[in-house]
Amino acid sequence: MEFPVLFWGVLGWMIFWGVSGSILIRRRYLARDLDTSNATFIGTMAGAALGPVGIAAVWAGTPRASGYLSTALALLAVLIIAVTFSFADPDNICVTSGGFVASQVVNGLIIGIIYGFMALGLSLIFSILGVVSFAHGEFYMIGGMLVYWITEVLMPGVNPLIGVLGACAVAFVIGAVFERLMLTPMYHGKIDRPVEYGILVTFGLAFTLQYFVQAVAGASPVKVQRYVEFPRFRFPAEADLVWIKTSRGSMTLFEQVTISSPRLSAAVTCILVLLALLYFMHRTWTGKALRAVSQDREAAAIAGISPDRMNMLAFALGGMIAALAGALLVQAFSWLPQVGAIPAMRSFVIVVLGGLGSLPGAFVGGIMVGLVEAAGTGCIPDAQKAASYIPAYGMIVLTLTLLLRPTGMFGRRFASGSHGQL
Amino acid sequence: MTTFRLLAATAAGALLATGAYAVDCPIKIGGIAPLSAPGTVVGGEAMREAMLIAEEDINAAGGVLGCDIKVVIGDSEGLPEKATAIMEKLIAQDGVAAVGGGYHSSVGVASKDVADARGVPVVFAETWNDTITGDKQKYIFRIAPLSSWASATIWQFALTVPDVKKVAILTENTDYGIPASQETARGLETGGVESVTFSVDIGTQDYAGIVQRIKAENPDMIITLVTGEAAYNFTQQAADAGIGPLDMPFVTGQDALESGAYWQNVPDGQYAFVQRIGVPETQFSDKGRAFAAKYKERMGKSDVESYAMEAYDSIAVIAQAIGEAGSTDGDAIVAALEGIVHEGTLGRIYFPYGTQKDPSEDGKGDEWWHQWPDPALTMIQYQDEGQDSTSAAIVYPDAYKTTEPVFVHQ
Repeated sequence: MEFPVLFWGVLGWMIFWGVSGSILIRRRYLARDLDTSNATFIGTMAGAALGPVGIAAVWAGTPRASGYLSTALALLAVLIIAVTFSFADPDNICVTSGGFVASQVVNGLIIGIIYGFMALGLSLIFSILGVVSFAHGEFYMIGGMLVYWITEVLMPGVNPLIGVLGACAVAFVIGAVFERLMLTPMYHGKIDRPVEYGILVTFGLAFTLQYFVQAVAGASPVKVQRYVEFPRFRFPAEADLVWIKTSRGSMTLFEQVTISSPRLSAAVTCILVLLALLYFMHRTWTGKALRAVSQDREAAAIAGISPDRMNMLAFALGGMIAALAGALLVQAFSWLPQVGAIPAMRSFVIVVLGGLGSLPGAFVGGIMVGLVEAAGTGCIPDAQKAASYIPAYGMIVLTLTLLLRPTGMFGRRFASGSHGQL
Repeated sequence: MTTFRLLAATAAGALLATGAYAVDCPIKIGGIAPLSAPGTVVGGEAMREAMLIAEEDINAAGGVLGCDIKVVIGDSEGLPEKATAIMEKLIAQDGVAAVGGGYHSSVGVASKDVADARGVPVVFAETWNDTITGDKQKYIFRIAPLSSWASATIWQFALTVPDVKKVAILTENTDYGIPASQETARGLETGGVESVTFSVDIGTQDYAGIVQRIKAENPDMIITLVTGEAAYNFTQQAADAGIGPLDMPFVTGQDALESGAYWQNVPDGQYAFVQRIGVPETQFSDKGRAFAAKYKERMGKSDVESYAMEAYDSIAVIAQAIGEAGSTDGDAIVAALEGIVHEGTLGRIYFPYGTQKDPSEDGKGDEWWHQWPDPALTMIQYQDEGQDSTSAAIVYPDAYKTTEPVFVHQ
């Protein structure tokens, strides 16, 4: 970095006024006996983006500050950091190369969609059952392993779609059976400490699945062939700047942004399944019943919905979503019985970031983590450290979010917490 | 009374001759290997089987000191903290006389202090970090090459590749990767070649951002100093982005020697260069050929990895040392190892420097302490798709070269 004093000076200024804003605006809300859940966030963003002027404006305007204003202030704060960075490190590749930035953004977006999709399953389970499933990474793992087993061992050469559907079906059944056998005691008062029980029993499932797969399939990495291979294509065929060029395994846009076929096909499938899931949740009776249970179990039961059945469906569906993410990524990554550990950890971060139990929050949180990881990997000046810090980027965002808005981006203050009980 | 003493002396002499009085049977020897992620499971499984084959071969030949040996395998998971725990367990709970195996340098660095403090000899098979022998600990030996020798082979080879002005190095931030990348960068600099190093956590899966950043550096060659499936992931993702082995000179991780897994995980891995320890199969000793045949049959593989041979030799050399020491006492085994000449699968194994002769007497650095000086280091290239590693072309150094390298950028 050429002018580190400039960058750290501006950052220090923003932190100082951000902290000041958070304290002052929260006090202002408390003095007026207002809901303070968003006060810390808006105060911090006003201070960070506009300094004392911003704090004074929000102070004077209390309580007229809306969610849109806090979002706009947050975006302005990010913009100020980006502009400062560009002045402080003018030779950084993130400043000098628009093509590089575009490729990092696209890659971050694609992997973020997949992260978010996986976290969606975890969030669904929590919103209905109030249980944090520690077996989520293992559902992801068995999804990939099942596709490998179906398409490479059981029926070599079969259409990968059969493998993906088979993996989803098996994961759904495992989730449903496990919920019926192991989680139902929670709902009927047979367990004194349901939160701890839920954690321990899903931990048990995680270990069982992981070591069962290791015993059966071994611990060597496996991988399946790409589901989609692009035909060789170039457009315009005779031009200085080729808009789109494809090879067997990847697509390059404007000679800058390269997207591999496994990632693209996984992200597109995630979006399609997400749309189908939204349709299911909002347009079908069962989906509405799931949402009703997540909002108020007792009212849902009075309306004739069986919360127990919804518990089973939610756990099975959540596990299936994780398995589908794995089934789509086994063509991109080498697969081992322990492959689920890091994605599961990332899912926990995303779910808390987005707001426990919030489905849109999980998806938006996933995209945010993907973009932050891409920005960190691409823009940190020291090449040796940029990639080493990947696991830390999500944690930094999570810590900031929890400090400023403890319920997460889209979280409700008392999301679920019934642990499956009426 | 005299008759009784004579009988007693005769009995004691007979026991001494067989050695059976001094040891409990079977004699246990520890074998450390990474059998779970984030360790390199491919390498760990190969080493485990090799050490078990060594156990079978030694027992079939009559065992040691009249006893069978038993190799007790410990899973290091490639983690230093797990390595110290597993070394403690092998020594304290299983009662091993000595320990062989070991794959990750970080495992060697962490666990050697435990073994040395407890007076149990260790012959490390595949841990490269120079400090493992450089700390000059009495009970620590190594038959793997030093990290500095292995790095030198890679950077010296890189300097022979035409039109290379800038090299991107991807390394894992471990006791193997960090010094190896520094030595490689320094070596490249001596030849006027610029380098840029990217480091990642062990077990990293997604390299999309890093690959784009490497691509933006516009390197002429890529060197991978990452172990396990992480190297597979990086190599294939680089290939997807157009900077893989089919696009530029590309040195992939050593686990590519497990060619079955390599081709399954890196379908676009043709023309990758890989470092290999040991002479080519055509130059194997009788013992090396016999082991290779048995190993391939048992594992269903078409090739034998160098780390499997090192693992086999680490157990065999310990067994011979116990036999020559006539006891399982740690000090006696160390004395035997310092004077040993073992005909192994990798060649003649011996340790010229130790308590009897310090490396400094010959002007050598401390890392030569209890270090086998003769491991052959070569670079191979997968010139045909689906090729197995033992039939792959040896392209460096000239002493072992079987074929000229293919440089895809030319």
